[in-house]
Amino acid sequence: MIVIGKCYYFICWLLLTSGPVGVLEEIWSPEKNSHRAEPEMKMFSVSHKTAFVVDHCPYMAESSRQQVECDVLTKSRGQGMIPLAPVSKSLWTCAVECSMEYCRILYDVYPLKKLINYIVSDSEFHILNSWRQEDQSTHELMSALAAVGPPNPQEDPECCSVLHGLVAAVESLCKITEYQHEARTTLMDTADRVANRGRIICLTNAKSDTHVRMLEDCVQETILEQNKMAAGSDRLMSIQQCELVLVHIFPQGEDTLVSDRPKKEVSSLLTSEVHSVRAGRHLATKLNILVQQHFDLASTTITNIPMKEEQHANTSANYDVELLHHRDAHLEFFKSGDLHMAGSTSRDSGLKETVTLKWCTPRTNSVELHYCTGAYRISPTDVNSRPSSCLTNFLLNGRSVLLEQPRKSGSKVISHMLSSHGGEIFLHVLNSTRSTLEDPPSISEGCGGRVTDYRITDFGEFMRENRLTPVPESPDTEASGKPPAERAKAQLERYTRYWPMIISQTTIFNMQAVVPLANLIVKESLSEEDLLTCQKTVYNLVDMERKNDPLPISTVGSRGKGPKRDEQYRIMWNELETLVKTHVAGSERHQRVLDCIIACRSKPPEEEERKKRGRKREDKEDKAEKSINKDSEDKSWQESERLKGALERGKEEQGESEVIKDSPDSPEPLNKKPRLDEIQLPEKAKGPVSLLTMWTNRITVANSRKHQEFAGRISSVNNKAELYQHLKDENGMDLHENGKATR
Amino acid sequence: MPTVVLMDASLSMTRPVSLEQCSEELQRKNLAVAGLTMLFEHMANNYRLEFTSLVAFSSLWELLVPFTRDYNTLQEALSNLEDYDKTCLESALHGVSNVVQQEWGHACPTQVVLVTDGSLGIGKGSLRHSLQTLKGRPEDKKFPLPFPFPAKLFIMCIANAEELQMTDTMHNLEQLLQLNGGDGQIFTMEGQLCLKSVQSMFGRLIDEVYSPFPAVLRCGNLASDVQVFPRPEPVFLDEEIDPMPRHILTDLEIVGFIEIGDISSPPVMSRHLVLPIVVNKEVDDVGPGTTEEPEEETSANQQAGKVPNFCVLLHGSLKVEGMVALVQLGPEWYGMLYSQADSKKKSNLMMSLFEPGPEPLPWLGKVSQLGPISDAAENPYGEDDSKSPFPLQPKIKRSYAQNVTVWIKASGLQTDVQKILRNARKLPEKTQTFYKELNRLRKAALAFGFWELLKGVAELLERECTLLPDTAHPDAAFQLSHAAKQLKLASTGDSQYAAFDQNINPMHTDFSGGGAAGM
Repeated sequence: MIVIGKCYYFICWLLLTSGPVGVLEEIWSPEKNSHRAEPEMKMFSVSHKTAFVVDHCPYMAESSRQQVECDVLTKSRGQGMIPLAPVSKSLWTCAVECSMEYCRILYDVYPLKKLINYIVSDSEFHILNSWRQEDQSTHELMSALAAVGPPNPQEDPECCSVLHGLVAAVESLCKITEYQHEARTTLMDTADRVANRGRIICLTNAKSDTHVRMLEDCVQETILEQNKMAAGSDRLMSIQQCELVLVHIFPQGEDTLVSDRPKKEVSSLLTSEVHSVRAGRHLATKLNILVQQHFDLASTTITNIPMKEEQHANTSANYDVELLHHRDAHLEFFKSGDLHMAGSTSRDSGLKETVTLKWCTPRTNSVELHYCTGAYRISPTDVNSRPSSCLTNFLLNGRSVLLEQPRKSGSKVISHMLSSHGGEIFLHVLNSTRSTLEDPPSISEGCGGRVTDYRITDFGEFMRENRLTPVPESPDTEASGKPPAERAKAQLERYTRYWPMIISQTTIFNMQAVVPLANLIVKESLSEEDLLTCQKTVYNLVDMERKNDPLPISTVGSRGKGPKRDEQYRIMWNELETLVKTHVAGSERHQRVLDCIIACRSKPPEEEERKKRGRKREDKEDKAEKSINKDSEDKSWQESERLKGALERGKEEQGESEVIKDSPDSPEPLNKKPRLDEIQLPEKAKGPVSLLTMWTNRITVANSRKHQEFAGRISSVNNKAELYQHLKDENGMDLHENGKATR
Repeated sequence: MPTVVLMDASLSMTRPVSLEQCSEELQRKNLAVAGLTMLFEHMANNYRLEFTSLVAFSSLWELLVPFTRDYNTLQEALSNLEDYDKTCLESALHGVSNVVQQEWGHACPTQVVLVTDGSLGIGKGSLRHSLQTLKGRPEDKKFPLPFPFPAKLFIMCIANAEELQMTDTMHNLEQLLQLNGGDGQIFTMEGQLCLKSVQSMFGRLIDEVYSPFPAVLRCGNLASDVQVFPRPEPVFLDEEIDPMPRHILTDLEIVGFIEIGDISSPPVMSRHLVLPIVVNKEVDDVGPGTTEEPEEETSANQQAGKVPNFCVLLHGSLKVEGMVALVQLGPEWYGMLYSQADSKKKSNLMMSLFEPGPEPLPWLGKVSQLGPISDAAENPYGEDDSKSPFPLQPKIKRSYAQNVTVWIKASGLQTDVQKILRNARKLPEKTQTFYKELNRLRKAALAFGFWELLKGVAELLERECTLLPDTAHPDAAFQLSHAAKQLKLASTGDSQYAAFDQNINPMHTDFSGGGAAGM
């Protein structure tokens, strides 16, 4: 329900609009075009450039003789007061306000790429704005018009003419717009495909049909002249097609001296039409019809809009609001010939055809993705009427309204939706016919459909982190290289270098303890603090391992209880290494995270051997990684191949671990003795990491940066360094490795 | 994209094919049936989501099978096809038009496969006659082409090109295509009329129109082979500047993710199912003879079902989070992936294509300017997801979003004058609103060159001043006469007083309280 501000004014509105019925005019006949020949197929059609030429000669100061009563309420106040004499607009005022209304509708529906050049003509021409996009606004034009002011009745009529303006309009049409310029620059060799067409709308008071012909001839000659000049210029374009729309305005109560004439060809370059209209309401209607014709607009009347009036809060009345928009929003109607069935009526206020759609009171604010085949900007016909502003404010506040197409059968079909996006209201066309995609096989029936442990929540989190945001355009961002969208893709690439899709494929992503590192390592660059957090995560894992904390390792595919605890940690460490390795090329700090892991993790003897065997494979990997960094945009197959490699390796490791477990050569079961030794290290033995431990670690790390670390300490695990390592290397495998401490 | 098969069942289709090497006698109809059988078999195996209907025609037309995905039914109807009298294409095309409109409305792109021997009738009702009488027909007897829906017309001639060119048949068929806006193609048989040549002709149709669209969906390093159904059609942007059709890439790369509320029911050109597939590199998927053993197929399917697939993961998370993935389809061309629920249980990964261009949705801005949130100094969604950087606001507000002044209807002007008077009577409390409304009227009157109105309103204010009750605040009279004076000055057009961007400010009086002082 919309609450209307003041019902009092409302009633005024209702009383005043029930004026006499005007001439009925057909504004659009359904075209027999095929679906491809849509009007928007050509960007540089006649409607790309519109030059308004408004006559500013002394006779335009004449009164339109349409009187407006300003002092409406005085009568009701009684007291025998003399009401103010009604005011009347001049022909100039009528011309200006109707042309501004034309511009208002145009700018609402096409904020871009449909340009207006406003020219005023008296003893000379005055160009009020340029083709530049930033000059295209009604405020800009109003300000310029105020500076021009009304025509001066004292001026010598002999030296004033609308011709100055028409010549200026032709010259202006030859000027290249920024869009034409841009298109020509991008097309290079085929720049001649960029057409130059335009329309001149001339609002004047002509003397006779002969006078009109003289104006046409003048435009024709000027075009030929200007085209010659344009041929030799880079900044000008010759006119290929020009539509001249002459609107002869005459005061009420007078007979017209100029006859209406439909569009005719003056030459291959110029067509001309003449409209002879009374000033005032008729002129407004005429220009409203013209803007619809010129820009392929159509009208929709939203009916049954319930509005509560402030003074009668209990009652609500239904109102209608008429909107203009691109006519493709009615495509379905006029293709089906349903136009009349869809509630098309001729309204006396608009004097034209409109399609009536019924308001459906929105239920909730549920966010839904409708199947929408088109969205078109709207402009209310009567922008400052109460019902219009109530509707538009309601929409601007973020509510969407579904619209129902009334059908004779009584069935309810929702065919459209009104919705605002960032202060602009759009009429969405919803698909209301049967879908050819109905009853598709469910995704659960297809590839990967049987797998039940996808990391849906984790990927959801991933998507949230990879949401997009508009980045303001600035010369800096261009200088720094990639456009934002490419940076977004690069981020996706980094985030997915190691991303197991199912829960049973991963250990580390099922562990809370790994989260800080996993979140940071994917970053493009790491701060010193990030590095520290990563290292802490590793220390924490070491601690967990020492305490023999259980790991959330999947038991899928293995017999019994799954791998033993130490095996679990080995799998976990391997996976963590895999993750971090995919990022080491990123920066030196990324490398230091890996160094930290390698330094801290326990390595069982088999690991060493496996590593030797796997060295070749890793070499390949490194190469692949380097090539990616060189050109991460072109990461095609190579990259995913590498990923597959990584995954396979992961599987292999798991496989291996199982083999080891079952093999008679597998290491001795855990010996408790070494663990007792460890307990003697007081600060590390008790429960989760204490503040002291964290602090000590931090200090140690900070200090370690200040001096070169002992070789022994670097390769130590839990502060134990193995001596005479070279002997082991020489002898090959040695069972008594320091890693055993935690086994 | 539904298909209508329009099968010529006229007597001329029963003409035998003159065969030199084959002993068995074949009719043209047999060849047509063989070709269509091949088409149906292909669809059943590789394009099974296509809805197809079968219409037979002679002088009359009949819908033999309404739109279905059951290709056995189609096949059966085809083999029970009887022979009728002469060919009358125009009424048959009317039939097709009706059948399609009833089922799919007017927006659904459709494919019409006309199978005929090329003898298009004689005299009234023949195609030649229809084409000759195209002009000057009354509204209700218009030729059915172009169809009121987007349609491609494929004409499968059970005849070779030379044969058709001997008469004016080829010319007539070309005209037919032109009437359809050039959308479609004429297929003829090469060499002798025999099973082999008819199969090769239908093979060409299959390759061009009914072959699945394979693609790879990527999100960084995660990827899945997919089939996009229906085949995305090439798109024409601007016939003048950019007359080449645009095709979507077979590499569909995700750019990032957006909330459903932010993307906000965007307009799309078409919708397509994105079905994960297993690419079997050893098997040649072309060739009608390779009908796999059903058992093998199901086990292969079961196997594929157990291998984790990125599409399923993506679909699940999009559904749970209520988000869409923005996907790049080509240079300056984008689309979105989302979960589409067909019923309560079944849902699918769907892709919608936006109109090509750098900025398909004004409320998102240029897609190339959409970057990762990590690039922003502060998370634009807020730490608790309470905000959103979308929608973008246009630089200039639309007329309905600003307080524009339109006086085309007398009521507009009267309302504005009344607003001023109403506030005038409540001075000095309403000083601010009074001057705001006054200045709005002043601006418009100056722009419209409506100086008479300024004078009129000045007089009204002066009169209000005289009508002030004795109890009125003394400031009211001062403000009213000050405003009236300023309006009068503006109405002279004197640039000192009639500047558009200048405002009339409240008069500072000894009585004016805080309200006016704040201006």
